[in-house]
Amino acid sequence: MSDSVKMSLKLFIITAVAALALGVTHAVTEEPIRQQNELAGIESRKAVLPDGEEFIEVDTARYQAEYPGIIEVFEGRKGSTEVGYVFKILSKGYGGNMELYIGINTSESKLDGVTIASHSETPGLGANAAEPGFLGQFYGKPVISPLTVVKGDSGNAEEVEAITGATISTKAVVEGVNEAILFYNQVLRDGGEAR
Amino acid sequence: MGYIGKIFMILLSSILINNFVMSRFLGICPFLGVSKRVETAVGMGAAVTFVMAMTSLITYIIQYGILEPLNIQYLQTIVFILVIACLVQFVEMVIQKSSPTLYKALGVYLPLITTNCAVLGVAIINIDEKYDLIQALFNGIGAALGFTLAIVLFAGIRERLELSDIPKPLKGFPIALITAGLMSVAFLGFQGLIK
Amino acid sequence: MKLSKVFINGVLNENPTFRLVLGMCPTLALTTAAINGIGMGLATTFVLVGSNLAISLLKNFIPSKVRIPAYVVIIATFVTIVDMIMQAFVPALYESLGIYIPLIVVNCIILARAESFASKNSLLPSIIDGLGMGAGFTVALLLLGSIREILGSGSWFGIPVVSEGFSPAVIMILPPGGFITLGLVLGLLNKLTGKTEQP
Repeated sequence: MSDSVKMSLKLFIITAVAALALGVTHAVTEEPIRQQNELAGIESRKAVLPDGEEFIEVDTARYQAEYPGIIEVFEGRKGSTEVGYVFKILSKGYGGNMELYIGINTSESKLDGVTIASHSETPGLGANAAEPGFLGQFYGKPVISPLTVVKGDSGNAEEVEAITGATISTKAVVEGVNEAILFYNQVLRDGGEAR
Repeated sequence: MGYIGKIFMILLSSILINNFVMSRFLGICPFLGVSKRVETAVGMGAAVTFVMAMTSLITYIIQYGILEPLNIQYLQTIVFILVIACLVQFVEMVIQKSSPTLYKALGVYLPLITTNCAVLGVAIINIDEKYDLIQALFNGIGAALGFTLAIVLFAGIRERLELSDIPKPLKGFPIALITAGLMSVAFLGFQGLIK
Repeated sequence: MKLSKVFINGVLNENPTFRLVLGMCPTLALTTAAINGIGMGLATTFVLVGSNLAISLLKNFIPSKVRIPAYVVIIATFVTIVDMIMQAFVPALYESLGIYIPLIVVNCIILARAESFASKNSLLPSIIDGLGMGAGFTVALLLLGSIREILGSGSWFGIPVVSEGFSPAVIMILPPGGFITLGLVLGLLNKLTGKTEQP
């Protein structure tokens, strides 16, 4: 057997054994990974819609063009009653994309919570948008019309106070929330397209 | 924004705003190693650009043509790095034949393109950002151009540093790193360029 | 050779970060907080030990001409294993290390040790070298991560450690902070040891 063939064969054997080892590890870790992802998903949704116990995905495929920021929408249920919706929204921040979780409580028509799943904002400035200090102000806000950003104290419930020195990051969060609000009002609410 | 506009954004982002070396910390080893003379830096930049462009194309095809249909995405790391190793081997042979001087100048850093984290990094980023083939190609080209920009600028500065009186403990890597840090501050200025 | 000497070598004389100046990418990127440094250090140590072990065992089987691709396949395998295990059992750390987990495969430390040590030494010293280099790398990441986290976020391992009056210098946890911290620490070490690394 020539040298080249011997070399290639040996390399092939090494690669084959490697692939086998990976296949085994994959089989072993596949289930734990799937469970972790599911757990993480449920936890994130409960964080913005505390009353929800189970979450059922809503098919938003045909709305993708009109609402490009929507990653996924889940209906939150307690028993057989619908308590609200959880939106996962993609928004463009200062340093890159931002992923937001937004919970809308149906019975009281208000926001139950907003969290930031991931972002690339500047630490110390825009990154403070992920802090409860900022996100807390969304709790209880009405979802009848879009929210606006103001510098300084917010006068009424539809205004969101911007973070000093991080207006763009603030706007990114509010725009994401507004997309959820819009979709809720147009499509999901009683009287909306889906009903 | 039109498709061409999006491509332009990708280029702008990978060359300036999220410069692979200055912001993402990818490609540091060759950045510190091959940046002592501007000519060598340009040659390295050209080789890396070719490798990164081809890598982006080939890894895209493999990811969506083989790995995902067969549900073996966990083999991504091992397959991608093998593709890169082969491409670099190929580029090495081409340079050896066409420009022996460049081949000598690049020395051991040519095969080290394989371990240039920027190359594997861009392949992974293309998949993470869900770019299509053309976007992936331009991201690869942009990343390589950004890398080239960084090492050529750096080489220019280092050529002058050679002639200055640097305190002994700082000679070599320390002063190079501090210089790179100052360059990185300059690149920070590009943040927020795209809304 | 004495095994303890092999280990100490990896932590001190040939510390991969401060003496060999290898593995710069994760060093600069993941030292924004001390905890990230430890996480990456441990993951890299696992891969280092695994690959040194495998390559030392196979050193007579691997043909010299294709040794680099062979090493790369072996290293990539261990990296993927570490990736899957982390994703399954420590998802929070997995998220914060992100793209840098697959990038362990191109961490020059691992390939360098494979080439200069594991391929020429027997099993036990190779394993100890992997442990030593990994420990040295982790210590370096911990040191740099602590400096940047304390000065840049005012905390250490997430615990606030500075007084109210201190305003953290955010730039420390941004890219420039990484470069400059490493440069200054290297310079300081050169001064203290009286040696200079020539790139």
